[in-house]
Amino acid sequence: MVSKLLTIDQASKILGVSIQTLRRWDDSGRLPSISRKAAGHRHYLKSDIANYINDNSKNLFLFKMARNWATNDPGTEPFSDFYCPDISAFQARLTRLESELGKLKRLNKIFPLISAITGEIGNNSFDHNLGNWPDVLGIFFSWNLAKGIIVLADRGQGILVTLKKIRPKLANHQDALRTAFTEMISGRAPEYRGNGLKFVKDVVSANEISLFFQTGNAQLEIKKNDSDMNIKKTDINLRGCLAAIKF
Amino acid sequence: MNIFLKKFGTTLNGRQFGKESFAAFEPSLRDIKKEEKVIVDFDQVVTFTPSWGDEFLGPLLSRFGERLMLKNTENPSVQATLKLLEKIYGKTFINTDNS
Repeated sequence: MVSKLLTIDQASKILGVSIQTLRRWDDSGRLPSISRKAAGHRHYLKSDIANYINDNSKNLFLFKMARNWATNDPGTEPFSDFYCPDISAFQARLTRLESELGKLKRLNKIFPLISAITGEIGNNSFDHNLGNWPDVLGIFFSWNLAKGIIVLADRGQGILVTLKKIRPKLANHQDALRTAFTEMISGRAPEYRGNGLKFVKDVVSANEISLFFQTGNAQLEIKKNDSDMNIKKTDINLRGCLAAIKF
Repeated sequence: MNIFLKKFGTTLNGRQFGKESFAAFEPSLRDIKKEEKVIVDFDQVVTFTPSWGDEFLGPLLSRFGERLMLKNTENPSVQATLKLLEKIYGKTFINTDNS
Protein backbone atom coordinates (compact mmCIF):
# COMPACT_ATOMS: atom_id res chain seq x y z
CA MET A 1 0.00 0.00 0.00
CA VAL A 2 1.32 3.45 -0.84
CA SER A 3 1.80 5.51 2.31
CA LYS A 4 -0.27 8.67 2.64
CA LEU A 5 2.32 10.09 5.02
CA LEU A 6 5.51 11.96 4.25
CA THR A 7 8.43 12.52 6.59
CA ILE A 8 9.54 16.09 7.14
CA ASP A 9 12.61 15.34 5.02
CA GLN A 10 10.45 14.14 2.10
CA ALA A 11 8.12 17.13 2.45
CA SER A 12 11.06 19.56 2.47
CA LYS A 13 12.42 18.05 -0.75
CA ILE A 14 9.06 18.20 -2.49
CA LEU A 15 8.49 21.83 -1.51
CA GLY A 16 12.09 22.95 -2.03
CA VAL A 17 12.37 24.50 1.44
CA SER A 18 14.57 23.53 4.40
CA ILE A 19 13.47 21.32 7.29
CA GLN A 20 13.95 24.31 9.61
CA THR A 21 11.49 26.31 7.51
CA LEU A 22 8.94 23.50 7.70
CA ARG A 23 9.32 23.36 11.51
CA ARG A 24 8.73 27.11 11.64
CA TRP A 25 5.69 26.80 9.39
CA ASP A 26 4.36 23.99 11.58
CA ASP A 27 4.76 26.04 14.77
CA SER A 28 3.14 29.11 13.19
CA GLY A 29 0.27 27.09 11.68
CA ARG A 30 1.16 27.99 8.08
CA LEU A 31 1.61 24.32 7.17
CA PRO A 32 0.76 22.07 10.12
CA SER A 33 2.17 18.56 10.43
CA ILE A 34 -0.31 15.90 11.48
CA SER A 35 1.36 14.53 14.54
CA ARG A 36 4.47 14.33 16.54
CA LYS A 37 5.21 10.79 17.50
CA ALA A 38 6.93 9.93 20.78
CA ALA A 39 10.34 10.53 19.21
CA GLY A 40 9.22 13.99 18.13
CA HIS A 41 9.22 13.39 14.36
CA ARG A 42 6.76 15.41 12.33
CA HIS A 43 4.81 13.83 9.50
CA TYR A 44 2.67 15.33 6.75
CA LEU A 45 -0.33 14.07 4.87
CA LYS A 46 0.39 13.95 1.13
CA SER A 47 -2.95 15.64 0.55
CA ASP A 48 -1.93 18.53 2.85
CA ILE A 49 1.25 19.06 0.84
CA ALA A 50 -0.74 18.89 -2.42
CA ASN A 51 -3.21 21.47 -1.09
CA TYR A 52 -0.36 23.71 0.03
CA ILE A 53 1.15 23.53 -3.46
CA ASN A 54 -2.20 24.37 -5.06
CA ASP A 55 -2.86 27.29 -2.71
CA ASN A 56 0.65 28.75 -2.95
CA SER A 57 1.53 28.15 -6.57
CA LYS A 58 2.84 31.71 -7.01
CA ASN A 59 5.32 31.48 -4.15
CA LEU A 60 6.80 28.05 -4.77
CA PHE A 61 10.47 27.51 -5.41
CA LEU A 62 9.96 25.66 -8.66
CA PHE A 63 13.62 25.28 -9.51
CA LYS A 64 14.48 23.72 -6.16
CA MET A 65 11.41 21.48 -6.34
CA ALA A 66 12.45 20.24 -9.78
CA ARG A 67 16.07 19.72 -8.76
CA ASN A 68 15.03 17.82 -5.64
CA TRP A 69 12.65 15.67 -7.65
CA ALA A 70 15.36 14.87 -10.22
CA THR A 71 17.95 13.94 -7.57
CA ASN A 72 15.82 12.21 -4.91
CA ASP A 73 16.54 8.58 -4.22
CA PRO A 74 14.40 6.60 -4.61
CA GLY A 75 12.51 8.47 -7.29
CA THR A 76 8.81 9.18 -6.95
CA GLU A 77 6.24 10.71 -9.27
CA PRO A 78 5.95 14.50 -8.88
CA PHE A 79 2.64 16.05 -7.87
CA SER A 80 0.19 15.81 -10.72
CA ASP A 81 0.16 19.57 -11.40
CA PHE A 82 3.83 19.38 -12.37
CA TYR A 83 3.89 15.96 -13.96
CA CYS A 84 3.83 14.98 -17.64
CA PRO A 85 4.13 11.18 -17.77
CA ASP A 86 4.05 11.11 -21.56
CA ILE A 87 4.49 13.34 -24.60
CA SER A 88 0.72 13.87 -25.00
CA ALA A 89 0.46 15.31 -21.50
CA PHE A 90 3.47 17.51 -22.24
CA GLN A 91 1.96 18.71 -25.51
CA ALA A 92 -1.30 19.63 -23.77
CA ARG A 93 0.47 21.59 -21.03
CA LEU A 94 2.75 23.29 -23.57
CA THR A 95 -0.31 24.56 -25.41
CA ARG A 96 -1.58 26.00 -22.11
CA LEU A 97 1.78 27.64 -21.43
CA GLU A 98 1.79 29.11 -24.93
CA SER A 99 -1.63 30.63 -24.36
CA GLU A 100 -0.62 32.12 -20.98
CA LEU A 101 2.64 33.50 -22.41
CA GLY A 102 0.70 35.08 -25.27
CA LYS A 103 -1.27 37.19 -22.80
CA LEU A 104 1.85 38.91 -21.42
CA LYS A 105 2.43 42.21 -23.19
CA ARG A 106 6.12 42.36 -22.42
CA LEU A 107 6.65 39.06 -24.27
CA ASN A 108 4.55 40.07 -27.25
CA LYS A 109 7.32 39.58 -29.79
CA ILE A 110 9.16 36.59 -28.37
CA PHE A 111 6.57 34.36 -26.70
CA PRO A 112 6.47 31.85 -29.62
CA LEU A 113 10.25 31.48 -29.21
CA ILE A 114 9.94 30.79 -25.48
CA SER A 115 7.24 28.25 -26.15
CA ALA A 116 9.34 26.64 -28.92
CA ILE A 117 12.51 26.23 -26.84
CA THR A 118 10.43 24.84 -23.97
CA GLY A 119 8.96 22.37 -26.44
CA GLU A 120 12.37 21.29 -27.68
CA ILE A 121 13.80 20.75 -24.20
CA GLY A 122 10.77 18.66 -23.22
CA ASN A 123 10.88 16.72 -26.50
CA ASN A 124 14.50 15.91 -25.92
CA SER A 125 13.63 14.22 -22.64
CA PHE A 126 10.98 12.05 -24.25
CA ASP A 127 12.77 11.33 -27.54
CA HIS A 128 15.90 10.03 -25.86
CA ASN A 129 14.34 8.08 -23.01
CA LEU A 130 11.23 6.48 -24.45
CA GLY A 131 11.34 2.82 -23.40
CA ASN A 132 14.55 3.41 -21.44
CA TRP A 133 13.51 5.46 -18.39
CA PRO A 134 15.69 4.23 -15.49
CA ASP A 135 12.90 4.66 -12.91
CA VAL A 136 10.17 7.34 -13.03
CA LEU A 137 9.06 8.02 -16.58
CA GLY A 138 8.16 11.44 -17.87
CA ILE A 139 9.09 14.95 -16.86
CA PHE A 140 8.55 17.64 -14.24
CA PHE A 141 7.20 20.71 -16.05
CA SER A 142 6.02 23.89 -14.41
CA TRP A 143 6.21 27.67 -14.71
CA ASN A 144 5.65 30.89 -12.86
CA LEU A 145 5.08 33.70 -15.32
CA ALA A 146 5.01 36.40 -12.63
CA LYS A 147 8.58 35.43 -11.77
CA GLY A 148 9.45 34.80 -15.43
CA ILE A 149 10.60 31.21 -15.05
CA ILE A 150 9.86 27.86 -16.70
CA VAL A 151 11.35 24.69 -15.22
CA LEU A 152 11.71 21.24 -16.79
CA ALA A 153 13.42 18.14 -15.38
CA ASP A 154 13.68 14.44 -16.11
CA ARG A 155 15.10 11.37 -14.38
CA GLY A 156 16.25 9.89 -17.68
CA GLN A 157 19.60 8.58 -18.82
CA GLY A 158 21.19 12.00 -19.31
CA ILE A 159 22.86 13.45 -22.37
CA LEU A 160 26.21 11.61 -22.06
CA VAL A 161 24.60 8.15 -22.20
CA THR A 162 22.30 8.94 -25.13
CA LEU A 163 24.86 10.95 -27.12
CA LYS A 164 27.51 8.22 -26.72
CA LYS A 165 25.48 6.08 -29.12
CA ILE A 166 26.59 8.36 -31.95
CA ARG A 167 29.71 9.90 -30.36
CA PRO A 168 31.34 6.90 -28.59
CA LYS A 169 34.49 8.86 -27.72
CA LEU A 170 32.71 11.36 -25.49
CA ALA A 171 34.49 11.13 -22.14
CA ASN A 172 32.46 13.20 -19.68
CA HIS A 173 29.29 15.20 -19.06
CA GLN A 174 30.95 18.53 -19.86
CA ASP A 175 31.94 17.35 -23.35
CA ALA A 176 28.52 15.80 -23.90
CA LEU A 177 26.77 19.02 -22.90
CA ARG A 178 28.98 21.10 -25.21
CA THR A 179 28.39 18.70 -28.11
CA ALA A 180 24.63 18.65 -27.59
CA PHE A 181 24.40 22.44 -27.61
CA THR A 182 26.89 23.23 -30.37
CA GLU A 183 27.58 20.43 -32.84
CA MET A 184 25.26 20.06 -35.77
CA ILE A 185 24.47 16.37 -36.06
CA SER A 186 23.02 15.47 -39.43
CA GLY A 187 23.60 11.70 -39.52
CA ARG A 188 20.69 9.98 -37.84
CA ALA A 189 21.76 6.35 -37.49
CA PRO A 190 21.71 4.58 -35.12
CA GLU A 191 19.05 6.77 -33.50
CA TYR A 192 17.01 9.81 -34.39
CA ARG A 193 18.88 12.75 -33.04
CA GLY A 194 17.40 16.16 -33.28
CA ASN A 195 19.25 19.40 -33.17
CA GLY A 196 16.81 20.81 -30.67
CA LEU A 197 19.37 21.99 -28.14
CA LYS A 198 21.30 23.86 -30.86
CA PHE A 199 18.03 25.60 -31.64
CA VAL A 200 17.61 26.45 -27.95
CA LYS A 201 21.12 27.96 -27.82
CA ASP A 202 20.57 30.02 -30.99
CA VAL A 203 17.25 31.39 -29.75
CA VAL A 204 18.49 32.21 -26.23
CA SER A 205 21.65 33.97 -27.40
CA ALA A 206 19.64 36.16 -29.78
CA ASN A 207 16.87 37.21 -27.37
CA GLU A 208 16.18 38.51 -23.85
CA ILE A 209 16.07 34.98 -22.46
CA SER A 210 18.50 33.08 -20.25
CA LEU A 211 18.96 29.36 -19.79
CA PHE A 212 20.35 27.12 -17.07
CA PHE A 213 20.84 23.48 -18.03
CA GLN A 214 22.35 20.59 -16.10
CA THR A 215 23.02 16.94 -16.95
CA GLY A 216 25.26 14.65 -14.91
CA ASN A 217 27.78 16.85 -13.10
CA ALA A 218 27.91 19.45 -15.89
CA GLN A 219 25.92 22.67 -16.01
CA LEU A 220 25.77 25.59 -18.38
CA GLU A 221 24.32 29.05 -18.47
CA ILE A 222 23.54 31.00 -21.64
CA LYS A 223 22.12 34.47 -22.04
CA LYS A 224 21.68 37.07 -24.77
CA ASN A 225 24.76 37.80 -26.90
CA ASP A 226 26.77 34.95 -25.36
CA SER A 227 29.03 33.54 -28.04
CA ASP A 228 30.47 30.90 -25.73
CA MET A 229 28.78 28.75 -23.14
CA ASN A 230 29.79 28.83 -19.55
CA ILE A 231 30.09 25.09 -18.78
CA LYS A 232 31.05 24.12 -15.23
CA LYS A 233 31.57 20.94 -13.29
CA THR A 234 29.30 20.73 -10.24
CA ASP A 235 29.29 18.78 -6.97
CA ILE A 236 25.68 17.72 -7.32
CA ASN A 237 25.31 14.87 -9.77
CA LEU A 238 22.03 14.53 -11.62
CA ARG A 239 21.45 11.51 -13.84
CA GLY A 240 18.86 13.09 -16.13
CA CYS A 241 18.42 16.73 -17.16
CA LEU A 242 17.31 19.91 -15.40
CA ALA A 243 16.52 23.16 -17.21
CA ALA A 244 15.37 26.63 -16.18
CA ILE A 245 14.34 29.21 -18.78
CA LYS A 246 14.15 32.79 -17.51
CA PHE A 247 12.74 35.83 -19.29
CA MET B 1 -1.53 22.32 -53.68
CA ASN B 2 -1.74 24.35 -50.48
CA ILE B 3 -1.02 22.69 -47.13
CA PHE B 4 -2.43 24.74 -44.28
CA LEU B 5 -0.43 23.88 -41.18
CA LYS B 6 -3.08 25.34 -38.85
CA LYS B 7 -5.17 22.31 -39.74
CA PHE B 8 -2.67 20.20 -37.81
CA GLY B 9 -2.76 22.56 -34.83
CA THR B 10 -1.15 25.84 -33.84
CA THR B 11 1.44 24.36 -31.45
CA LEU B 12 3.53 22.24 -33.78
CA ASN B 13 6.04 20.51 -31.56
CA GLY B 14 7.66 17.09 -31.17
CA ARG B 15 8.95 14.39 -33.49
CA GLN B 16 6.13 11.97 -32.80
CA PHE B 17 3.48 14.57 -33.58
CA GLY B 18 5.38 15.68 -36.69
CA LYS B 19 5.68 12.11 -37.90
CA GLU B 20 1.99 11.40 -37.27
CA SER B 21 1.00 14.60 -39.06
CA PHE B 22 3.01 13.69 -42.15
CA ALA B 23 1.74 10.10 -42.17
CA ALA B 24 -1.86 11.32 -41.92
CA PHE B 25 -1.43 13.79 -44.77
CA GLU B 26 0.72 11.60 -47.04
CA PRO B 27 -2.21 10.06 -49.00
CA SER B 28 -3.25 13.57 -50.13
CA LEU B 29 0.19 14.12 -51.64
CA ARG B 30 -0.50 11.39 -54.19
CA ASP B 31 -2.96 13.71 -55.97
CA ILE B 32 -0.26 16.27 -56.74
CA LYS B 33 0.49 16.59 -60.44
CA LYS B 34 3.98 16.41 -61.91
CA GLU B 35 4.65 20.13 -62.28
CA GLU B 36 2.40 21.33 -59.48
CA LYS B 37 3.83 23.47 -56.67
CA VAL B 38 3.38 22.45 -53.05
CA ILE B 39 2.80 25.49 -50.85
CA VAL B 40 3.08 25.11 -47.08
CA ASP B 41 1.15 27.91 -45.39
CA PHE B 42 2.16 28.85 -41.81
CA ASP B 43 -0.75 31.24 -41.29
CA GLN B 44 -1.93 31.25 -37.60
CA VAL B 45 0.78 28.84 -36.43
CA VAL B 46 1.92 30.04 -32.98
CA THR B 47 4.71 27.67 -31.95
CA PHE B 48 6.83 25.87 -34.52
CA THR B 49 9.81 23.72 -33.54
CA PRO B 50 12.65 21.98 -35.40
CA SER B 51 11.56 18.52 -34.18
CA TRP B 52 8.07 18.82 -35.74
CA GLY B 53 9.42 20.74 -38.73
CA ASP B 54 12.08 18.13 -39.49
CA GLU B 55 9.53 15.33 -39.53
CA PHE B 56 7.10 17.21 -41.76
CA LEU B 57 9.13 19.53 -44.00
CA GLY B 58 12.09 17.13 -44.37
CA PRO B 59 10.15 14.48 -46.34
CA LEU B 60 8.34 17.18 -48.37
CA LEU B 61 11.63 18.78 -49.35
CA SER B 62 13.23 15.52 -50.44
CA ARG B 63 10.11 14.55 -52.39
CA PHE B 64 9.30 17.85 -54.10
CA GLY B 65 12.62 19.75 -54.06
CA GLU B 66 12.20 23.21 -55.62
CA ARG B 67 8.47 22.70 -56.09
CA LEU B 68 8.12 23.07 -52.30
CA MET B 69 7.35 26.67 -51.31
CA LEU B 70 6.57 28.31 -47.98
CA LYS B 71 4.10 31.07 -47.17
CA ASN B 72 3.30 33.34 -44.19
CA THR B 73 6.52 32.59 -42.32
CA GLU B 74 6.71 35.80 -40.24
CA ASN B 75 6.26 34.13 -36.83
CA PRO B 76 9.63 34.24 -34.95
CA SER B 77 9.57 30.53 -34.04
CA VAL B 78 8.90 29.68 -37.70
CA GLN B 79 11.79 31.92 -38.77
CA ALA B 80 14.21 30.46 -36.21
CA THR B 81 13.22 26.88 -37.04
CA LEU B 82 13.53 27.36 -40.81
CA LYS B 83 16.97 28.89 -40.33
CA LEU B 84 18.15 25.81 -38.42
CA LEU B 85 16.56 23.32 -40.83
CA GLU B 86 18.21 25.09 -43.77
CA LYS B 87 21.56 24.67 -42.02
CA ILE B 88 20.91 20.96 -41.41
CA TYR B 89 19.67 20.27 -44.95
CA GLY B 90 22.21 22.52 -46.65
CA LYS B 91 19.34 23.97 -48.71
CA THR B 92 17.32 27.17 -48.71
CA PHE B 93 13.53 27.08 -48.59
CA ILE B 94 11.75 29.10 -51.26
CA ASN B 95 9.34 31.61 -49.80
CA THR B 96 6.38 32.64 -51.96
CA ASP B 97 6.43 36.11 -50.35
CA ASN B 98 9.91 36.71 -51.82
CA SER B 99 9.62 34.94 -55.12
